[in-house]
Amino acid sequence: MRKAVSIDIGSTWTKGALFALDGPASAVLEMRETPTTQDGLANGFLRVLTALLGLPPGTTLGEVPGDVPVYFSSSAKGGLAIAAIGLVPDLTLHLAKLAAMSAGGKVVKAFSFSLTEEDVTDLESAPPDIILLAGGTDGGNTAYLLENAKRLAASEVETPVIFAGNRAAAARVAKILRRKSVFVAENLMPEIGQMNLEPVREKIRDIFLDRIVAGRGLADIVHALGTRPKPTPLGVYELVAAIPLVRPDWDDICVIDMGGATTDVYSNTESFLETDTVVLKGVREPRVKRTVEGDLGLRVSARTLWDSAREDILEGLGRAGLQEPAMESFVAKVSADTGYLPTGETEKTLDRILAEACVFHAALRHIGVWREAYTPQGKVFVQTGKDLRRVKAVIGSGGYLSRCRESTVMRAPLRRLASRGEELKLAPAAPVFYADGGTLFPLVGNLAEDHPVEAVALALSRLTELPNKG
Amino acid sequence: MSGPTVVLGVIGADCHSVGNRILEVFFTGEGFRVVNLGVMVSPLEFIDAAIETDARAILISSLYGHGEIDCQGLRDLCVEKGLDKIILYAGGNLVVGKTPFAEVEAKYRNMGFDRVFSADSDLKQAAGLLRQDIRTSFGEG
Repeated sequence: MRKAVSIDIGSTWTKGALFALDGPASAVLEMRETPTTQDGLANGFLRVLTALLGLPPGTTLGEVPGDVPVYFSSSAKGGLAIAAIGLVPDLTLHLAKLAAMSAGGKVVKAFSFSLTEEDVTDLESAPPDIILLAGGTDGGNTAYLLENAKRLAASEVETPVIFAGNRAAAARVAKILRRKSVFVAENLMPEIGQMNLEPVREKIRDIFLDRIVAGRGLADIVHALGTRPKPTPLGVYELVAAIPLVRPDWDDICVIDMGGATTDVYSNTESFLETDTVVLKGVREPRVKRTVEGDLGLRVSARTLWDSAREDILEGLGRAGLQEPAMESFVAKVSADTGYLPTGETEKTLDRILAEACVFHAALRHIGVWREAYTPQGKVFVQTGKDLRRVKAVIGSGGYLSRCRESTVMRAPLRRLASRGEELKLAPAAPVFYADGGTLFPLVGNLAEDHPVEAVALALSRLTELPNKG
Repeated sequence: MSGPTVVLGVIGADCHSVGNRILEVFFTGEGFRVVNLGVMVSPLEFIDAAIETDARAILISSLYGHGEIDCQGLRDLCVEKGLDKIILYAGGNLVVGKTPFAEVEAKYRNMGFDRVFSADSDLKQAAGLLRQDIRTSFGEG
């Protein structure tokens, strides 16, 4: 029987699974987890690996037999931090962010037009893992790119730079940055209205492997097992991309991965349906899209969630008959204790209110809108962003959502979203909700590239349909 | 071999699209590199595209008579965004009612447009003027 191991080194937990690979009949054989060993990521990794393979404890990396392929991913040490520099916010900067997020990164800083001195100081004092420098269509603007390249060259920034802007400036930018580490990729926006994110995503992956893996103590694993790791969200992205290809009856899907620190939303659906009554403005979003919100989380980011989603949380408290001070002390408690499990009905309700707020805001930022416009030809809608109304399945992943027994935590905020404000929010109209039992998606995601049929079968086999309550 | 870049579109809440396609084909044939934003284009979208593509001119069509409101402040926006030298043309049915063209032209020139064309203007002549204006302002082509 063919087997494979997948291990994900998370910020808090290192989890792994042993899979039997048998096409659509693939199955989970074992699952193990251990707290992530911050001072030596390979230690926790090895502990999980030896347990999954039934090897004696104390087996070293070098002694692990090579007959079962081992896939792994990491989001430890804050994941993959990317600073995006683009030209116009709604065009090349927007695409730079999409490219970064779809490669499994988190956009920690975003700059448009010219970098100021403060921006450069910011990059020097809190360096990201990668700087993505973009801007200008091919044959278009070069001025800002060259200026920004010179500023970076003159600074103390040592972060690797990926240049994905105007092709006509590539050689000059590479020369300006020759004493730093610079990588050139194809322009992520070669023409207005065209996006080309794949080359940038590849480069991000290459740098992740070379630089960041080594810096985080994962090089030993790579060396011993010969396996290319991914940033954790990249695996989930590849899984979401694969699902409709392997199972066309599972097209138009959305995954909400809610964690302690971030909430990620993935969607795989056509972004714009051309009809006589709607016009698309701005970038035509990709069919497979990931957004990651670093301020929306249930534990590490509980405080920033409380700030960002204040209005919705207060409304939720009102509906539940609870008061602000109760939430304030709950937020203080869980931010300090990232493994905290709520006790009693009140705490569970407070946790649920936070979870619904995460879903609401993460979805709000991922989906597009329709705005009414009146023209002499009649009423027309103007769409910006991505249309998720046709999404048929919404899958909840991450600790909280994967333990759901019914759909309220996801269904209620999506419904509130759709009816909020003047613009029509393009949220899923009538989806079925599922829980990713056991939070298998990140583990299965690691298999998606090499074994898409098996990965999709495994992912779908553990989904629990969530009934509507009441 | 492609010539200077020009941004083209129909401004505001206007979805007349046939004329826009004709203009795109025509100006491309005249050797310009046309970035066609289509219909219902806002002022900022024209500007964003002009910046990214390093365009020499923005050609704004308006056919439903309300162009004046839509075009207000466009030259100021260009200046703010560092597009001081960019050439701005407006063309189409630019006002409601039967105002003499000379008045229409004066109004739009006052708003910062370099040239103004009526709906039945000679396109070939317009292309020639555009080439000339680009040469004058940018010393190119």
